[in-house]
Amino acid sequence: MKVLTANSLATGEVVFWSRGRWAKAFADGERFADEAGAGTALAAAESQSTIVVAAYLIDVEEVDGHWVPVSYRERIRALGPSNTPQHGKQADGDADVAALVAATFAARSTGRVKLIKR
Amino acid sequence: MYRYDTYDKAMLTDRSNEFRHQVARRLAGEITEDQFKPLRLMNGLYLQLHAYMLRIAIPYGTLSTRQLRRLAWVARTYDKGYGHFTTRTNLQLHWIKLRDAPDVMDALAEVDLHGIQTSGNCIRNVTADPYAGATADEVDDPRVWAEVIRQWSTVHPEFSYLPRKFKIAVTASAKDRTAARSYDIGLQLRRDREGQLSFEVMVGGGQGRTPYLAKTIREHLPADRLLSYLDAIIRVYNRKSRRDNIHKQRIKILVATLGQEEFARQVEAEWAKIEAGTVDLPDTELARIRGAFRPRAFETLASASKAFEAAKADLAFARFARHNVKPHKVAGYAIVDVSLKAPGETPGDCSSEQMEALADLADRHSFGEVRVNYTQNLVLPHVKLDDLPELYAGLKAVGLATSNIDLVSDIIACPGLDYCSLANARAIPVAQAIALRFADPERAETIGELKIKISGCINACGHHHLGNIGILGVDKKGEEFYQLSLGGSGDNDASLAEILGPAVHFSRTPEAVDALVDTYLSHRRDGERFLDTYRRIGLKPFKEAVYANAD
Repeated sequence: MKVLTANSLATGEVVFWSRGRWAKAFADGERFADEAGAGTALAAAESQSTIVVAAYLIDVEEVDGHWVPVSYRERIRALGPSNTPQHGKQADGDADVAALVAATFAARSTGRVKLIKR
Repeated sequence: MYRYDTYDKAMLTDRSNEFRHQVARRLAGEITEDQFKPLRLMNGLYLQLHAYMLRIAIPYGTLSTRQLRRLAWVARTYDKGYGHFTTRTNLQLHWIKLRDAPDVMDALAEVDLHGIQTSGNCIRNVTADPYAGATADEVDDPRVWAEVIRQWSTVHPEFSYLPRKFKIAVTASAKDRTAARSYDIGLQLRRDREGQLSFEVMVGGGQGRTPYLAKTIREHLPADRLLSYLDAIIRVYNRKSRRDNIHKQRIKILVATLGQEEFARQVEAEWAKIEAGTVDLPDTELARIRGAFRPRAFETLASASKAFEAAKADLAFARFARHNVKPHKVAGYAIVDVSLKAPGETPGDCSSEQMEALADLADRHSFGEVRVNYTQNLVLPHVKLDDLPELYAGLKAVGLATSNIDLVSDIIACPGLDYCSLANARAIPVAQAIALRFADPERAETIGELKIKISGCINACGHHHLGNIGILGVDKKGEEFYQLSLGGSGDNDASLAEILGPAVHFSRTPEAVDALVDTYLSHRRDGERFLDTYRRIGLKPFKEAVYANAD
């Protein structure tokens, strides 16, 4: 599944495509199951050069019943900076944001942690 | 302090008006983003993850209290009430709206501030010793020369489209507080036995993907020939550097490719072609600039202060005196480092309230002057010893009395993936977690000098190559890992850090640092800093402490 995102030209704020409009919350973003639908939305977004900049598609996945961006970078864009929870979209603090926070700051792999003693 | 003359002010007003029209044309759709992007970047306005970011140049890190109050006002009015001081002594505002940016530029221009040449392939904001004009070990005020370079390099037509960005640092003290060897050009001013000033010219330093320490290409450049020699260096660079590969376009690559001697030979040959007197500053102009940096009207005071000594009965104040108070060239005065590294806070962040409080304190106690240090801390350069207890109380009231300069919690961290569109991993939360782990001031003091520097990507804005412990964030299959390096230094004993081993996970990075510190403490000999112990015993014991299966 994909979601279309961009930054507002006038404010720089992160926005998400939602059936012809731009939504501020990631949870309100339209999800595309097929390439064609996503491509059409992207083409429409790219023609709105006085509304948004840098439109692109991101991969999303379902975690515990909530949709979240796959990439770490996109999770931070959808939330706001992790050092200041009072700034950015995370300040709204609803259930969707809470799910996104939970998915973002939980380590997913054991990676190299076993290399560390203690 | 230097104040902009009519020429500077006219240039800034024109630029601000021009930018207002550019923004209006972009918002109206008269120019495309591709056309607009280089124009906004030339004014320091970037688009980052959450908003536009404005990078404001603070030439040689010197701020008047009028300027600091204006920065506080701009941050409160157009941003979220804080600013972020960077390792280039700039201030970044991370939540600027494009539609407000012209008003921000106007507000800044009124106090001689702007974002010009804080982006792009030009000569960037020049940095200098944050203790300039206050430290006893300097041979001249380096800001005189930094201001000369600022005037020469500002909208310099020949050097506006260099192969890559270009950074210059100036110091006039035996002790380098600018990390000069990590600069494209580092200038070390000295005075010879006859009283003549000359520069040691170091070229080709830089961090990023391919770190190099700058090489000395001339030991004694007569100070009055500075500008023509800089012209010669940058002309050779402009002509000879590659432009086909962004990773090989900094001057460090050219110097490394040609070799120090050949590069120096080409610079000397180019310099010989420049007719004396056509580029170098006339003595009268140098004297005019020097006049702006005349020593302050210091009082004649005793070298010791009873009030200062008595206040040390308060152990917290005594700790502040040990770590944040430095000797001044004038008896009865001190230099005060103001830490922006309270454990748990974002390194380099300063709220509008803190900026205003600091401006008030600087007006009362430091001739209205504040400096920015590349370590992301601030400096009050001229404080009477008698005033230190009152100053400390004032700093403490706004959370600015953290007594940790050069200690383990005085961590440099770039904005990282929390803000920056170039980053691969976060840097700030790692710094916060490490600082909290070492928040006990007594333990930090036992550990002693330890400089931790964290970057969220290979571009190394967080100076990880120069960290005693350097930490580089990397993305491994969508997760944040951190590569640890040891033994870097940006000081006189400059060195590049060596990689310890495989990167460790975000959640384990603070305990890995703890293991490194424990290893140091168990091997330390009397008086050794972390860096000294590392240099004596090497990487192996540290590696063994961090990795259970290091083979």
